[in-house]
Amino acid sequence: MQKTPTEMLQGTVDLLVLRALAWESMHGYAISRWLEGRSAGVLQVDGAALYQALHRLQRRGWVTSVWGVSENNRRARFYRLTRTGTTHLHASVAVWHNYAHAVAQVLAPQ
Amino acid sequence: MKTPIGFRFPWRSRRQIAAEVESELAFHLGMRAAALEAQGMARDVAEAQARAEFGDVEFTRDYCRTQDEAGERVMQWSDRLESTWYDVRHAVRSLWRTPGFTAIVVFTIALVLGANTAVFSAVHALLLRPLPYGDPDALVTVMDSSYAGTFIGAAPLSPPDYIDYRTQQHTFTDIAGYSDATETWLPADGDPELIRAALVTENMFNVLRAVPRVGRTLIPSDGAPDAANVVVISSTFFERALGGNPARIGETLLLDGQATRVVGVMPPGFTLGRRADLWIPLDLRADLGNPNRTRKQHWLHGIGRIRPGVSARAATEDLALISKRLALAYPDADGNSVAVTQSLRSWLIGSVGNGLGLLQGAALLVLLIACANIANLTLSRALDRRRDMAVRAALGSGRARLIRQVLTESILVAAMGGILGIALAYAATRWLLALDANALPALYPVSVDGTVLCVGAVLALGTGLLSSLAPAFAVSRLDLQQALKDGGRGSSGGHAVERARRALVVVQVALAVTLLVGAGLLVRSFRALDAVSPGFDPDGVLTAELSVKGTRYDTATAVNRFYDDALGELARTPGVVLVGAASTLPTRGDVGTSMRIEGQINDESKLPDMGYVAVRGDYFRALRIPLLAGRFFDASDGDSAAPSVAVINATALHKYFPDGAIGRRIHIGPSPTGPAITIVGIVGDVHARGPGDPVRPTLFAYHRQQAWQTSLSVVARTHGDPIALTGALRRAIHDADPTVAIHDVATLKGVTSEVLAPRRFALALVAGFAVLALILAVVGIYGVLAYLVAGRRREFGVRLALGATQRSVVLLVLRQGLLWVAIGLAAGLVAANAERMLLAASLYGVTAGDPVTYVAVTLLLLAVATVACLIPAVRATRVDPVVAMRAD
Repeated sequence: MQKTPTEMLQGTVDLLVLRALAWESMHGYAISRWLEGRSAGVLQVDGAALYQALHRLQRRGWVTSVWGVSENNRRARFYRLTRTGTTHLHASVAVWHNYAHAVAQVLAPQ
Repeated sequence: MKTPIGFRFPWRSRRQIAAEVESELAFHLGMRAAALEAQGMARDVAEAQARAEFGDVEFTRDYCRTQDEAGERVMQWSDRLESTWYDVRHAVRSLWRTPGFTAIVVFTIALVLGANTAVFSAVHALLLRPLPYGDPDALVTVMDSSYAGTFIGAAPLSPPDYIDYRTQQHTFTDIAGYSDATETWLPADGDPELIRAALVTENMFNVLRAVPRVGRTLIPSDGAPDAANVVVISSTFFERALGGNPARIGETLLLDGQATRVVGVMPPGFTLGRRADLWIPLDLRADLGNPNRTRKQHWLHGIGRIRPGVSARAATEDLALISKRLALAYPDADGNSVAVTQSLRSWLIGSVGNGLGLLQGAALLVLLIACANIANLTLSRALDRRRDMAVRAALGSGRARLIRQVLTESILVAAMGGILGIALAYAATRWLLALDANALPALYPVSVDGTVLCVGAVLALGTGLLSSLAPAFAVSRLDLQQALKDGGRGSSGGHAVERARRALVVVQVALAVTLLVGAGLLVRSFRALDAVSPGFDPDGVLTAELSVKGTRYDTATAVNRFYDDALGELARTPGVVLVGAASTLPTRGDVGTSMRIEGQINDESKLPDMGYVAVRGDYFRALRIPLLAGRFFDASDGDSAAPSVAVINATALHKYFPDGAIGRRIHIGPSPTGPAITIVGIVGDVHARGPGDPVRPTLFAYHRQQAWQTSLSVVARTHGDPIALTGALRRAIHDADPTVAIHDVATLKGVTSEVLAPRRFALALVAGFAVLALILAVVGIYGVLAYLVAGRRREFGVRLALGATQRSVVLLVLRQGLLWVAIGLAAGLVAANAERMLLAASLYGVTAGDPVTYVAVTLLLLAVATVACLIPAVRATRVDPVVAMRAD
């Protein structure tokens, strides 16, 4: 199995985080676990990139947060997708699919 | 319905944000370390591994904090905006629910703000705007302090004196001179027209540092003996005569029969004080050629620019030193004169500045009264809504929030009133100026411009804030529990609030009294002036100024022929009864001359000072100036070849001819050897400078014999409305000579009332303000008392039920109201006494302590206030005890 590049594009992290939160409201650590599990360990977003993305998205109003209690009874900040965040996610996913499809076509061996 | 105040967590501080980010990151690291530990790692290794996997913790912490703080700021602002928006909507709704209150307050603010803004637009134009010259503070007028013996005050310089001052001084950059004049302009097509002009020494524009809009101003060579005729024109005249086309600068105009080249155009608003359209180089050579004579002819206004670093006092002393030398050298002409200076600004503004200051003061007083009134109304309203407020406070609105609500309402109303008021001011200034263009000096156009708008807006805001101070205070002191308990029906808002309301009424009454006394004194002055008999009958007389100029009128014969023709033509016009002419009309001032009486020793240093007017035709009869002795002039008096005759007025007779004047021979003018003049008649006194000025001893010369004076004002007494004969008058003069310019055709009534126009204007405004103040104060008294009665309904009910008479209840209320009025009245009379000093200069025929005014104001105020108190007092007796007591 190949190691993912450590420097993933910022926009990609944002998109992944939004996708994760579309699944359900989660705290930061859960998001990183979810991404890892969902990509079968391929996408390992490091904590720095993840939290920067979360606070950036919150400032843009795409996610909001509230303090709650985690599964092991610790105080944790839970993030939730907002309505504008959902809209943005749908738009970005479409763009991403087009992009990925185009790249795949170019790279495909003929 | 939307929740009024959004439910959200309180705003986060920077420290809170930092702590949250810290704990969030710590949670992540802790979770990861725990997971690794569960896989069998040692705790410290697991923690190190978690940190390593995380990446740059420090940077992330800073990044997240920055993002959160920025987000928080946006949130706070949008929260504030939202709550302000909510306040505004709530205010609009609650104002809408009480349209009567809103209308009264908006209308009051509009009225007083309109008045203040209108007056301020004049103050701004005349007192605050800089003069249209470079460095105007260094400019002073140079004048003579004593002129022809008895005349007190500053007079213009004589040309030789002017030259001496100009060349001998050491403290001025330069001194310029000017004199007002009129020029006959003959347009290429159309009738000749008289244009206001100023004859200026060629250095005038340099002294003023005035820059032309197009072309150039005057240069020293324009004053040279062989210089071509040139003129600098105003912007308005530029539009009229040259179509505003800069390419036409350099064209010639026909002025007084001379081709005169236009060299420059001054910017709009440039003036030397009086409205003028032409500035023409002044040729003093003729006057300087004969200094013995002309040193006594004072007609040149001096304007000097004091050198930088020299004080105005040093400059005046410098000139006074020259005056002393002149007095020694020419004791006959300059023996008693000393040069005086005055800042150009104060000279230009003159007495108008004082009047405008008074007006602005009066307007501000009215504004204060209005503030007090609105504060009282708002207070009553706030008390009425105590229950509403208490409910909102119980639901979590803080007091600060409630106060903000009161402020928002006040400012909203003030803004509405302000917009309306400024519109009102705009209309009022235009209307007043259209009504009476002579009321204000022509220094600047008075208009509502940016600065005036800003001041209006600030005043509106100030009114809103000032009038909401008391209500906001009251709201902050409200006992909310009590308010909830008695359902908002209780009587008062506590003692502090009640005291505030009474104080407001007292202040209102005091301010209104101050204004009423001022207005009363001005009205009495005006009536005294108006009652002064002018000495002639101005009704039913048409006048016009004629300007007879040019080489064709170089001889007395030609001038006499023209006036004989013109007056004869006019006399034959149907509707015209009597026709005459004079060198100056009553109230338009006069010129002076000195007199020597034959057969008595004349003290050459103190020759009698006489006003001088040349008249012809039936001037006295047309104006109904009575003949007291002797006879009027008639055709048998002949012209300059015949022995000279004169008529004097009664004042001259009493002052200089105690033994009778008829038949006495006199000499006038500077020379003791001039031709003798025989006095043939004595006429009644006429106030030559307007009713406020004392009658001056005056000599009337016969114009047929003194035809060197070419320009006269004709007067025609008519049947019916004189204005209807305007066309006929123009035709008659046109028939006599079509090139003569006819100027200022007006009724004599109009001419003479001009003198009182500024006073009438100011009086109308001050009286208006005073009436407004009275109405506001009375409404204030009524409002507070009515509220008091409403609040104490139950008490009155009980009193009546227990057998109190209606009369005693009325007296109870009346006593309460009149007590405040009395306190306010006393305070107002004391304040009015202090205002005496300010008013003294504007009064005529009454003293500032005029008892009639004070008594009248006191009675008026008491009468009106009693009525205002009586209405709620009587209402108090109509209380049905049963209903009043059940209401609680």
